[in-house]
Amino acid sequence: MSIKLSSSVPTDREVVLGILNNSEEALNKLYTGYYPMVLQFILNNNGGEDDAKDVYQEAIIVLYNKIKGGNFELSSKLKTYLYSVSRRIWLKKLTQQSKKTNNIADFEDVLTVDEDVEHHEQKDMQFDKMKVALESLGEPCKTIIEDFYIHSLSMHDICEKFGYTNTDNAKTQKYKCLQRLKKLFFSSIK
Amino acid sequence: MRNEIELEAIIEDYLSGKLTADEQKAFEQLRNNDPIVDHKVVAHKVFLESMKQYADILLLKEQMDSAHHQLDVAAISAKVKPHSSKIVRIWRNNKSAIAIAASFLILAMVMLYSIQNQSKQDGSFEALNREVSQIKRSQNNLIRNINTKVQNTNIASAKFGGSGFAISSNGYILTNYHVIKDADSIYVQNSKGTSFKAKRFYTDPVNDIAILKINDSSFDQLGSLPYSIKKAGAGIGEIVYTLGYPKDDVVLGDGYISSKTGLNGDTLAYQVAIPVNPGNSGGPLLDNAGNIVGVINGKENKTDGAAFAVKSRYIVEAVNSIPQDSLNKRIPYGKRSQLQGLKRNKQVEKMQDYVFMIKVY
Repeated sequence: MSIKLSSSVPTDREVVLGILNNSEEALNKLYTGYYPMVLQFILNNNGGEDDAKDVYQEAIIVLYNKIKGGNFELSSKLKTYLYSVSRRIWLKKLTQQSKKTNNIADFEDVLTVDEDVEHHEQKDMQFDKMKVALESLGEPCKTIIEDFYIHSLSMHDICEKFGYTNTDNAKTQKYKCLQRLKKLFFSSIK
Repeated sequence: MRNEIELEAIIEDYLSGKLTADEQKAFEQLRNNDPIVDHKVVAHKVFLESMKQYADILLLKEQMDSAHHQLDVAAISAKVKPHSSKIVRIWRNNKSAIAIAASFLILAMVMLYSIQNQSKQDGSFEALNREVSQIKRSQNNLIRNINTKVQNTNIASAKFGGSGFAISSNGYILTNYHVIKDADSIYVQNSKGTSFKAKRFYTDPVNDIAILKINDSSFDQLGSLPYSIKKAGAGIGEIVYTLGYPKDDVVLGDGYISSKTGLNGDTLAYQVAIPVNPGNSGGPLLDNAGNIVGVINGKENKTDGAAFAVKSRYIVEAVNSIPQDSLNKRIPYGKRSQLQGLKRNKQVEKMQDYVFMIKVY
């Protein structure tokens, strides 16, 4: 009764190469290809559509980091890997909500991925810290930093966008923002 | 302040590899000489890496969200969500368990079928078995082989021995057919040790019953029989005892009816939990009230304490089959026996004159 995945599922090699080349198309195919599988798992194990989305995206991030980290070997099918990671993440969430985790309805083979998931959790914590640090930075600092570091705008663009009289003023502003952000970020790490 | 900003910019350019070779060399020199600068470089590097990861994941999430928008989540979840019907849900969740259960069921049915087939075979086998068991029984029959015992004496000695009991006071003795089956001549010996010649009068191989008639001028009439025959069947658990001649003196054996059928479900016999030995064959089996409920005729060689006794009903049939006018004071059926209410030792005392050793030559 498992749902037949559509034929648009890319081959595992395509996905790995696509992710290494930052191909959005490969990611799209991967995402849409295996989403039903994870949705089925979550819906059948005390979860909803939103849970499925969160868990599935986390699982893809795990896979993404693993591929980008360069230590990814295709020892199993991507499908099995994604399923196992999603399953592990969801079981952890269920435990945190002190819901029952026995009697899990499975639809695929399961790999042991505890290590990968734990590694991911640490990275995820860092991600959250950066997010929190940026949030607490306030405007306009947050946007300036995001524009510079995430959207890769030049100082000149930022100067124009925020209406600073000259680039030096913008640079000074960015410097102040950066110092505050670093402080927030590093103090939360320690 | 200006210097700080300049330094930060240089560090950033250094880390992103934007400095020229000379500038890089100069900066590295500065970094080596100034631990504060070095620390700033390391810290900024960590920060930049974290920031890059943050940016990557953020981008990835955006891409995934846009991919998510392309999906028709409602349609997919309608397909895969737990079915509202409980049966379908159970089926989906427990596919493997159900498969296992089903295979067990099939296996069980196959086994049941084969057992049924087997039991058909068993039926024929049993019939065969009965023949075999009859052979076995004749070997296991409680015929005492006293051949060896008296070998040295010149007196002709009995080949086999068994037990029997009087069914009338004028010398009709009932025993097992198998005891006297191969007899050339038959003698019966009472508890006092006196032997009388007897001849076979009636045989019933099927029920393993034989009736002998004492044919000896020295034989006096016996008194009226103290026991009666119980025509009704005995129940499981009924306390019974037997008198017999596994040795030259009369021996009492005590036990209870353990099954209403004999060997392999033989309905002609009871199974009795009673210690019996070769020589007990043909001995009466009595209940506490002094009614004969059967005749000991064998035991199972593999099971301890499982003896068999021909049911009293067949004794009655045997007694009825001989002309009634030839029986003087025959054994009463279904009447109150004289032994009723007596203690066991008194019963035995009264009975032993009517129980005989059968000697076969």
